[in-house]
Amino acid sequence: MNIIIVGLGKLGLTMTKQLVKEGHSITVVDTNNDKLTSAVDTYDVMGVCGNGATCEALETAGAAKAKLIIAATASDEMNILCCLIANRMGTENTIARVRNPDYAAQMQFLRNELGISMIVNPEFETANEISRIIRFPSAANLDSFARGKIEIASIRIHSDNALCDTPLYDLRKKSKAKVLVCAVQRNDEVFIPSGDFVIRCDDTISITGTRAELSLFMKQTGVYKQRIKNVMIIGGGRIGYYLAKLLSDTGRNIKLIENNDKRCYNLADMLDDVTVVHGDGTDQDLLDEQGLERQDALVSLTGIDEENIIVSMYAESKGINKVITKVNRHSYSILNDIGLETVVSPQIVAGNLVTRYVRALHNSAGNSQMQTLHKLVNGKVEAVEFIVPEGAGYQNIPFKDLNLLPNILIGCIIRNGKTIFPGGNDVMKADDSVIVVTAGRIIEDLHDIFV
Amino acid sequence: MNYRMISYYIGRILLIEAFLLIFPAVGSLVYGDGTLLSFAVTIGALTLTGMLAVRKKPEKASIYAKEGYVIVALTWILMSLFGALPFYISGHIPSFTDAFFETVSGFTTTGSTILRSVEALPKSLLFWRSFTHWIGGMGILVFVIAIMPKAESSSMHVMRAEVPGPTVGKLVSKLRASARILYGIYCVMTAIQIIMLFAGGMPLFDSIVNAFATAGTGGFGVLNNSIEGYNSVYSEMVIAVFMLLFGVNFNLYYMFLVRQGKQAIKSEELRWYIGIVAGSTLLIAVSLFTSTSNDVADSFRLAFFQVSSIITTTGFSTANFNTWPVISKFTLVFLMFIGACAGSTGGGIKVSRLVILVKSGLRDIKKAINPRSIETVKIDKRTVEEPVVKSVSVFFATYMLVIAVSVLAVSIDGFNLETTTTAVIACMSNIGPGMGAVGPYGNFADFSILSKLVLSFDMLAGRLELIPMLMLFSPYAWAKKYS
Repeated sequence: MNIIIVGLGKLGLTMTKQLVKEGHSITVVDTNNDKLTSAVDTYDVMGVCGNGATCEALETAGAAKAKLIIAATASDEMNILCCLIANRMGTENTIARVRNPDYAAQMQFLRNELGISMIVNPEFETANEISRIIRFPSAANLDSFARGKIEIASIRIHSDNALCDTPLYDLRKKSKAKVLVCAVQRNDEVFIPSGDFVIRCDDTISITGTRAELSLFMKQTGVYKQRIKNVMIIGGGRIGYYLAKLLSDTGRNIKLIENNDKRCYNLADMLDDVTVVHGDGTDQDLLDEQGLERQDALVSLTGIDEENIIVSMYAESKGINKVITKVNRHSYSILNDIGLETVVSPQIVAGNLVTRYVRALHNSAGNSQMQTLHKLVNGKVEAVEFIVPEGAGYQNIPFKDLNLLPNILIGCIIRNGKTIFPGGNDVMKADDSVIVVTAGRIIEDLHDIFV
Repeated sequence: MNYRMISYYIGRILLIEAFLLIFPAVGSLVYGDGTLLSFAVTIGALTLTGMLAVRKKPEKASIYAKEGYVIVALTWILMSLFGALPFYISGHIPSFTDAFFETVSGFTTTGSTILRSVEALPKSLLFWRSFTHWIGGMGILVFVIAIMPKAESSSMHVMRAEVPGPTVGKLVSKLRASARILYGIYCVMTAIQIIMLFAGGMPLFDSIVNAFATAGTGGFGVLNNSIEGYNSVYSEMVIAVFMLLFGVNFNLYYMFLVRQGKQAIKSEELRWYIGIVAGSTLLIAVSLFTSTSNDVADSFRLAFFQVSSIITTTGFSTANFNTWPVISKFTLVFLMFIGACAGSTGGGIKVSRLVILVKSGLRDIKKAINPRSIETVKIDKRTVEEPVVKSVSVFFATYMLVIAVSVLAVSIDGFNLETTTTAVIACMSNIGPGMGAVGPYGNFADFSILSKLVLSFDMLAGRLELIPMLMLFSPYAWAKKYS
């Protein structure tokens, strides 16, 4: 599929890397020649130097024959313009990054009236993901499927955990909860486990189940964390604003610390039930003064990774229940080692959204519609949700007679609102939601999981 | 330096060379000329070495610019060492240095020969000799990228090191697709030329071999006196025109294919190239007409063929230009330096570098007159980045320096100034014949072993545009503290 990516910022590069890996033909457009050269050297892409909102640059990039354009420059207006022009020039699908809260209300208008296929707001999506984690603090990370009916939570098994050295077939007996372990990370390796797999301490396991069953599991295994009531947010940028709004709407006490006093007034104006504090959120005295120890959770969202990491480490040392760190340079995989369990990065969140869109587009010939795609364990494992289409050949055949590829696991099936953890005798039926967990494979259609 | 990945990469290429050697081996079976054993031994040796190297894929698969250069340089040397085996084992070239020289000359599309009589060689070896031109013309590593199941993104470093020209662009976003398009154009053009030569009455074997030599802009022929021996104006003209075509940047052909022909014709490099060809042809034709017994038509025919052959660095001949007037010979020497367009199969400094050199020279003169003026060097109305301009100057200087040092080394053999200098230039620019004793009727047989090795180095350095070969002999590339 021919894809044009305009703007080689953090999001643009993440998208480039991801989509090249999936085998698409990518042309990148940027005004900065050095960035282009380095992208062309590192990835198998073609570079076009120029302003991505001009016909000239878009024509050189082949907009007339492209299937998709992703506009990810620093400016919202430019992204919209770029999509409009490319669309008129013949690009079939357009994705624009629009992140100014002012435009948030008119997303619908942009889509319907201006014909932009998808609007991505990485900051809003990131805030959404953080708020989901805060609502279920026991898990290090949480991804939901089937409109929240099923979730995948990852938890780290510490050495004092009773689950250490437990084989998976004993897991349900020990935890009394109906959950399924669908991926295990051990050091740098990832396993899609079978029943006789044995959990060791310091593994990070990803488990599927409903919210209630997951809670039960957490309680039984002693990793349950109390409901979070008080949240401190460091950094009042876009994510900070969205997050404060989302959390205060659910009745939590939010303290938002922001360095710039004009921005503080601005935030206080927009956010009613939030305590906005003016001050340097990376200053230890200020954190203590504002009652860090009384908080249930701390979210560090400043623009500088190092500051976020240091603030989070301090909060961990103070025994804060839940610490969430925003990191832009997500390729460093050392953060888990230094004790930061929950790390989010806007590029990854937005990248997953776009990847899902691209796969669904690429797969428009196939018929099982991809619903959700989440990447677990540093992107090494994918959990994908499909709806089984009418008349598919694999319907009503028991799993024991279907030949699944190795490293693929059916996480669960949702039929009429009920969750089923499939055994050998279970079948897939039309309109079921099926969650497929896989390592190292690209699944675009349910057909892809069979030998 | 990722040694395991380098050996893995080279191993794959040796396996491909083994596969390519099957063609001449089949030829020797068909013609029954007694060289089958030597081909079989070579294929065996290549398969064994290649298999050993690719037995296990390295875990760390990253290749950076440095590895790219080393892979390219080592590949070309090893390919030539193995490619020389059939000549040596079959006994038709008794000295291994000679066989190596001949193969390097083949792969680098030079066309300089140490054979006193080409016609004495069996057909399968003649085929292999010209086939190396065809392989080397577009580049073996580009070929590897084209057939590889999945292009590693780091392959760009390899492609950049092998494809000639100051800057390398892709045709389409995927490297593998780009390489396939290049080879597609290359194959189709070669096929058309074979058909046209055959239709003009040339024997099929000669048509194929000469087309290979033209496509790679190499210059190994079948007859002792090159193309002159066919006595066919039609064949001469077909070859002359195709030499010129293969000397054009292949990206332009792709632009024609995607209906951007107008833009392709506007290419500044192409216009300079045509201008230089037209001007030199006129100059030589006039000098031939005034000072030899040729009539107007013959003067133009001889001049056009020779200009086309030299500027594209092919090295075919239809006359002994050793006996031409000095002005004609000097024009040819100039053309030897210039060479063909960037991104073509030809050698030399490349027309685009010449354009940049001339334009930046003019700019510096203007700047001397008005030191505050700022001006950029533009080609096709686009600014050439300053680092590229600088690298072109450095390239030119290094090119001259390597020639000077090589001339010094070759001069130990005691040939006259003309022979010594043009032998080095002809090898460096991948032309083939020079002047004097290495003229179109001469050969390189009488040089010493040292000179042959120096000239082989020059051929490789010229084909790979200096950096890969120079880097191989630079201690910086291998020292741990720099890697």
